[in-house]
Amino acid sequence: MAKSIETLEKSIKDVPKAKKPESKKNWFSWGLLAPVLFFFILMSVLPTIWMFGLAFYDYTLTSANKPKLIGFKNFFDFLANQQLAGSVSRTFIFLLCAIILQTFLGILIGVLFWKNDKMPGRRIALTLFFTPMVVTPIATSLFWKFILDPTLGVINYFVSVLGFERFDTLTDRTLAFPTLVFVDTWMWTPFMTLMTLAALGSVPKAELEAARIDRLPLIRLIKTVIWPHAKFILGLGILLRTIDAFKTMDLAYVLTGGGPGDRTELIAVSLYRFAFKSFKLGYSSAVSVFLLFIAIALTAIYLYILNARKKAEE
Amino acid sequence: MYDIRLEGVTKKFGDFTAVDNINFTIPKSSVTVLLGPSGCGKTTLMRMIAGLESPTNGKIFFGEHEVTNVPTRRRNIGMVFQYPVIYRGTSVRKNLELPLLSEKLSKAEIDKRVDEVAEILDLKDVLKRFVEELDNGTRQKIAVAREVARQPRIILFDEPITNIDLTSKLELKRSMKELFGRLQQTIVYVTHDQTEAMTLADQIALMQDGVITQSDSPKEIYDKPNSQFAGWFLGNPGMNFVPPEFIKVSGTKITSPLFSQTIDLGSKAASADTFGVRAEGISVSGTEEKGAVQARVTRKALGAGGQYLLDLAVGSLLIKARVSHSVGRSVQNSVWTTIASENITFFDKSGTAL
Repeated sequence: MAKSIETLEKSIKDVPKAKKPESKKNWFSWGLLAPVLFFFILMSVLPTIWMFGLAFYDYTLTSANKPKLIGFKNFFDFLANQQLAGSVSRTFIFLLCAIILQTFLGILIGVLFWKNDKMPGRRIALTLFFTPMVVTPIATSLFWKFILDPTLGVINYFVSVLGFERFDTLTDRTLAFPTLVFVDTWMWTPFMTLMTLAALGSVPKAELEAARIDRLPLIRLIKTVIWPHAKFILGLGILLRTIDAFKTMDLAYVLTGGGPGDRTELIAVSLYRFAFKSFKLGYSSAVSVFLLFIAIALTAIYLYILNARKKAEE
Repeated sequence: MYDIRLEGVTKKFGDFTAVDNINFTIPKSSVTVLLGPSGCGKTTLMRMIAGLESPTNGKIFFGEHEVTNVPTRRRNIGMVFQYPVIYRGTSVRKNLELPLLSEKLSKAEIDKRVDEVAEILDLKDVLKRFVEELDNGTRQKIAVAREVARQPRIILFDEPITNIDLTSKLELKRSMKELFGRLQQTIVYVTHDQTEAMTLADQIALMQDGVITQSDSPKEIYDKPNSQFAGWFLGNPGMNFVPPEFIKVSGTKITSPLFSQTIDLGSKAASADTFGVRAEGISVSGTEEKGAVQARVTRKALGAGGQYLLDLAVGSLLIKARVSHSVGRSVQNSVWTTIASENITFFDKSGTAL
């Protein structure tokens, strides 16, 4: 008996190993990746490294002076700048308002679509509902600018027809910021609806049916059946929106240009002005490095959620 | 307890008829297994009983009450799914308690019921654990326990052990058998696995193409299949079927190279087309016997329980016979077979038993 096991082991060891053309395979996959990699390095990696370097220089395009290494001075300047601190906190308020609104509305509409999955015309309604999300933000900003225009805009037309006085929300000191939040919400609520639908779709059908059989009340249904599955995708949705909202630039730039005053000046708008209006490349690089670290922190949370989900599924 | 009465129940998905005009009563306080190959409509039928699908036509009664349009929540049924359903983020005990909390029971009563089912299903040791930590087999036990603890009048099982690994499968099957012996509820159990059906059922309802083709006790349905399908589907190997060219009908008498005697089938003889015999319905002897039919052994395989499965050739006819260990071991190339007439089932051209 012992001998037969020995021979068996030997025969297993002796099985000739299948030849893997590993090196060839590697070349092939690298070959396929090469074009993307080339552009990624050229357009993303190198500029980022360049930016890190620039952040330590006093480098202004319009100045006759040569770039000068000044260490952390750009960072200190930027941290001491009250105006910039204002736009950072404004950005956070903006993303907080926008994301709370979008998440709330997105979930509400998502649940409505989910509950009525046999409603006639559901597909068409969904497609129409998702259009704001696929339109270029610049285009969205432009047509909202037209809609809200005090003389040409359709809203003010109806306002005047109804006998009220025309108003300009985009130059109004109190209304400009909420208007920005409103347009962003109009544009991105569909995204949260999409995430809600995906999240609800990730709840196994059997669990929902079991909850019906077991007569679980709504609160328990949400807590013990829907939430444990839906939280990952919903969490990711909120995070993606946060990262994206943090970078909001085109919307504010086109609609209000940061005004009136600095009422709608988000950090990305400030950055744009430093870099491409004042051409202070060193200084704006330092701001970018700061923003990059915030984005990295958010991405770390994103990866953490992804990982947690993978673990939960195992 | 209730019986479940189906009156002309039909379910269509587009052009496809999943369940076709079923009239059937599932007796109360017993275990009825809906058995059939995949796509025969057994799960759809069960889901209609649960109210998770509504029938295209027909009525469903629980006892005297019509429930056809009663929503699932108000049917007072329990159901165990193929995929083990657990309520996440809670302990095993909480899982068992959750449905009971909606029943407005006293705390003492809830505890009593939970402890009781935990005892029966051997879950006592894991009551405090979190459900996510447990394997699929245990999760399914929790699902079973949860439905039992609720004490509904009807409990439905939808292939509960199909997705469980092999060891847990056997264990779960055993605890289920024990559990069913204790329960007073009307139990409907869907499976495509005949061994499960044979082990657990008081009554098997065999389904094919959306129709219940035969329903009877496991033994009865095995010994007296009413169709070729039933003979083929149940048993491993399925029934031997002898093609028409090996049958000779003269008047009321039938002869075949397999028979050592002539069989008188009376008026039914004229429509006899084929006949079937179970592998264990063929007696085999290693020595020549008077009147026995000689056969050649083409293959010999040792099966479960030490029995042998023999492939036999009688002329050009091939059949399978199951014999005891001692007979199987001793036989060589030639054997002598006899088939008692009660082990023979005749079928007409459509495959219906005569």
